[in-house]
Amino acid sequence: MSSSIEPRRSVVANSLYGLLNPIPFGLFVAALIFDVTYFRSGTMLWNKGAAWLITLGLLFALIPRVVNLTQVWITSRRFATSTDRLDFWLNLFAIVAAIFNAFVHTRDAFAVMPTGMWLSMCTVVLLAIGRVAVGVQSSGRTVVVHE
Amino acid sequence: MNKPMTKTLIALALATIVAGCAGKASLDAAQQSGDTPPLPAPQNFLVPPMQVPDGVGWKDGQTPRVAAGLKIEKIADGLMHPRQLYVLPNGDVLVVESNSPGTEPVTTPKQFLAGMIKGGSGKGGKGGNRITLLRKAADSGSWEKHPFIDHLHSPFGVQLIGDSLYVANTDAIVKFPYQTGSTQVTAPGVEFADLPGTIDHHWTKALLANSDGTKLYVGVGSNSNITENGLDVEYRRAAVLEVDVATASSRIYASGIRNPTGLGWEPTTGKLWAIANERDEIGADLVPDYLTSVQDGGFYGWPYSYYGQNVDTRVTPQRPDLVAKAIKPDYALGSHVAALGLWFSAANALPDKYQGGAFVAEHGSWNRSPLSGYAVVHVAFQQGRPVGAPEPVVTGFHSDDEKDLYGAPVGLAQDKDGALLIADDVGNTVWRVTSDSH
Repeated sequence: MSSSIEPRRSVVANSLYGLLNPIPFGLFVAALIFDVTYFRSGTMLWNKGAAWLITLGLLFALIPRVVNLTQVWITSRRFATSTDRLDFWLNLFAIVAAIFNAFVHTRDAFAVMPTGMWLSMCTVVLLAIGRVAVGVQSSGRTVVVHE
Repeated sequence: MNKPMTKTLIALALATIVAGCAGKASLDAAQQSGDTPPLPAPQNFLVPPMQVPDGVGWKDGQTPRVAAGLKIEKIADGLMHPRQLYVLPNGDVLVVESNSPGTEPVTTPKQFLAGMIKGGSGKGGKGGNRITLLRKAADSGSWEKHPFIDHLHSPFGVQLIGDSLYVANTDAIVKFPYQTGSTQVTAPGVEFADLPGTIDHHWTKALLANSDGTKLYVGVGSNSNITENGLDVEYRRAAVLEVDVATASSRIYASGIRNPTGLGWEPTTGKLWAIANERDEIGADLVPDYLTSVQDGGFYGWPYSYYGQNVDTRVTPQRPDLVAKAIKPDYALGSHVAALGLWFSAANALPDKYQGGAFVAEHGSWNRSPLSGYAVVHVAFQQGRPVGAPEPVVTGFHSDDEKDLYGAPVGLAQDKDGALLIADDVGNTVWRVTSDSH
């Protein structure tokens, strides 16, 4: 998402984005692993763990998503590529799925399943496509791959 | 994608969330009472039906409403979460002031939020962990208040056998010496028998002695709504335990009763009966709380099924073998009324229609909209079986708009004059109901 051709982006916003944006993806991937484990084992530990991971993922996603929204649609609108916009929408849908999933994970015991597992899958797949797309975009530029 | 589309998406998302919150009850307690209550299909929610009125307490001179032919008076206030009442042979009334030990750890984001929402009702008020003795003054109608036993640990049930007073703390039955007429017990309690005391999601331990004082029956609630804390913490839970008074050894007398909060002997048959709080979060009209006879060795379904063979899919692994033998409870009281007090009364000083049946105190539940319960009802009995719909005896514990909660009934007892006594743990009051012809 960062490169020298977008000079108007704020250093603070970019730093915050770089710092916080990877966290939700890791948490949501872990939640998916926990959900699958609960679905297969019925051991409550994994279900409760997944509920915390999804909630924390949403909290950590707040600031990077606001930064991304501002950059893609307002401050860097002129420089935003179609890949940037695709990444924005994929993230938005992923977060909406995660919000539903946080509510689904408030259900007791196996009432979470299988809906919770499929929603976790949705979130992870959408985020993964976005990250791959951005990665592919970066490979066409002469910058070091990072976010 | 453009802005209008974004708006549509947000609107859709909100609409879905709101739809997930819906779930108003369509059956009132009377419609869902009796031996074959209608049971709608279970639902899963994004947000379960919830309604929690603000606990405001009673104003000066304000009282609950009573049915025609009755009157109500306050006999004690300023108590610390009075939960149970027990009348001693000399007419003194013990008031058990108690609440949850608060030992259930927060293990999910939901518990963290739910704790804050439910706290506003006054039901989470700090318990006194003590027993106060009320004694009717000989000349006037007023009642003296004496500190009786202190430093208990979330006590609930109390029973006197001979000169021993048994108090069911949340984790053990404790035995105290009692002398007739004493207003305070200073001797320390001795642990008599241990009770399941981990987590204590449902912490109350109802206590009932048999007529010859050889056995104590203990109502032990489940450690979860529906096994969300794992099955291993449910050992000896959701059960009625039988404790031998001579040896203090105990066994599971009946199981599968989610939260047996009150026990009583049906006077004509001498059979053990219990009230139970059924499971939450599968609908405002599910599952009706119940009043049932308790059979030795009987299994009543929790967690695997309710009302006989209605399977609860939230439990894993499923146990069709146990579902097959689940006994259907005798009498439904209505969904989420939260029955917390049971009193069988062969004879009392109330009008004729209140003789020979059971009084049930309904504390009201968070998982129901509109509110249900928040009343003391009477269930008539004929030939040892409940008949008809539960009839409201004491109501008016919440405001008519369901926003404010003045009080909530819990423990019931009958004093020496045959009046019905009600512990109110939100109003921190004890009420006394008599016939208005006196």
